[in-house]
Amino acid sequence: MGDVVLLGVRDILWFDTAGWLVWLMPFLGVLAAVASRRRDPFIEDGRVLRHDRPAMLSHWTHGVGTVVLLASGVALGFLFVPALVAGEEPTWHVMNVHFAGVLAFLFGTFYYGANTLLSGRLKEHLPHSLKGSLQDAVAHYRAVFTESEFPGEGKYFASEHLSYPMAAIGTLFMIVTGLFKVAAHSIDIPGSLMGVMTLTHDVVTIIMALFLLAHVIMGALVPWSWPLLRSMFTGFVSEDYVKHHHAGWYKQLTAKKSETDAPASPDVQEG
Amino acid sequence: MADEAKTVSRREFLTGIGGAGAGLVLGGLLVKGIFLPPEVFAVPASGGFLLVDTKKCAGCDTCMLSCSMVHYGRVNPSLSRIQITKNPFGKFPYDMEQVQCRQCPYPACVDACPTGANHADPDTGVRMVDADKCVGCERCVNACPFTPSRMQWNFEDRHAQKCDLCADTPYWNKEGGAGGSQACIESCPMRAISFTNLTPIQDDYGYRVNLRNEHWGWLSLDTTDFGQESEFTLPTMPGAAAASH
Repeated sequence: MGDVVLLGVRDILWFDTAGWLVWLMPFLGVLAAVASRRRDPFIEDGRVLRHDRPAMLSHWTHGVGTVVLLASGVALGFLFVPALVAGEEPTWHVMNVHFAGVLAFLFGTFYYGANTLLSGRLKEHLPHSLKGSLQDAVAHYRAVFTESEFPGEGKYFASEHLSYPMAAIGTLFMIVTGLFKVAAHSIDIPGSLMGVMTLTHDVVTIIMALFLLAHVIMGALVPWSWPLLRSMFTGFVSEDYVKHHHAGWYKQLTAKKSETDAPASPDVQEG
Repeated sequence: MADEAKTVSRREFLTGIGGAGAGLVLGGLLVKGIFLPPEVFAVPASGGFLLVDTKKCAGCDTCMLSCSMVHYGRVNPSLSRIQITKNPFGKFPYDMEQVQCRQCPYPACVDACPTGANHADPDTGVRMVDADKCVGCERCVNACPFTPSRMQWNFEDRHAQKCDLCADTPYWNKEGGAGGSQACIESCPMRAISFTNLTPIQDDYGYRVNLRNEHWGWLSLDTTDFGQESEFTLPTMPGAAAASH
């Protein structure tokens, strides 16, 4: 009787039956990035390419993965948050949802990471200086709420520069601790180490939840972010929007456009 | 002629990393599936067993409170690893049941655990849970062949728990485990719980034990029952305490 029950249980828990997929996803993400071709932003017909297809794919796989992981993780309970599911079967179903979230999250994150490395775009995400980025962020939100002049920001706002390293470190911790939890299904990991991993995973869950909340509010709910949200589906924002909100980036784009539009004759080059 | 050093581009490097990693995962899966033999599950017998006699139990729940207390420092019957269930419509002796872990020879709970959190202690054989390693899948709770399951879900700390014969009791100053004391036995006012390090014969109903003395017979109550000492088949484990009844 026990064997029959166990067979059923083993079949239903994907972390056990298909745990290898978790290890495969990071490498698939890297291979997918190698196979992708990035498009640099450009101005065309009053529109500006903000997100190319690889950017959209990495954003949505990472984002949907994060949402699914957070929802299922919260449902299973962590730290002081009580579990919302009770009983064995509901727990297994939620764990399988968590598993699906892990696959999407790992693929999206590694796809993004490899893409960023390949295109050499890491620098454009990082803050130039802490003080400067803080001042720019304050100036930006003063402009948002007081209709004053926007600082000439680049492709990314100063607040995005500031949050990027924190989000990256949080993601890194989440992946490392999560992989330890998955590895525990295959190898014997000391309980003390697993205790540290679980606690870290739980604490980072709160940080990631706060990041997601801030990201959804600032990137989707507030009206001035709607053009960017739309561009996460279409790829494009209007030229007017870029002129108004990303003056620094617009300057770069127009300079680049005039370079490419200029006739490449020897006279012009010399003149 | 200048030597042109062969350089590896980022794209080539990442292609190599991705390809090698994916190949390793898929290759490992193939090797495991084809060449490695199926895992054999084997655990030593437990060095001790709790014995209960429902006819003696008064249903006072003292064992539950003490179990919760010595393990967690909290008095919460829901956290007790031994449970007393009562049926107000049942007749003596079926109006009450002492639900204790039977430390099964084949511990389905240990076999079901995917992370090794539920394990047989290598020294004493006692089946116990390392809470730090528990991922909360509750497979063990489902795998236990008894009803109610002797594997319990600790809803407060979110991990599986089971009777460890008081091997891990941070809130008790006595040595527990297969060779030590058990809080439920020491606190039971009716002496309805006992301990043996002989392996009882278990059937689908577990094992039944007579912990009654001759005083019961003076009252014309039953002193003969299933599960006499003759059913204990294995010799005492070296270093373990002798059967206490």
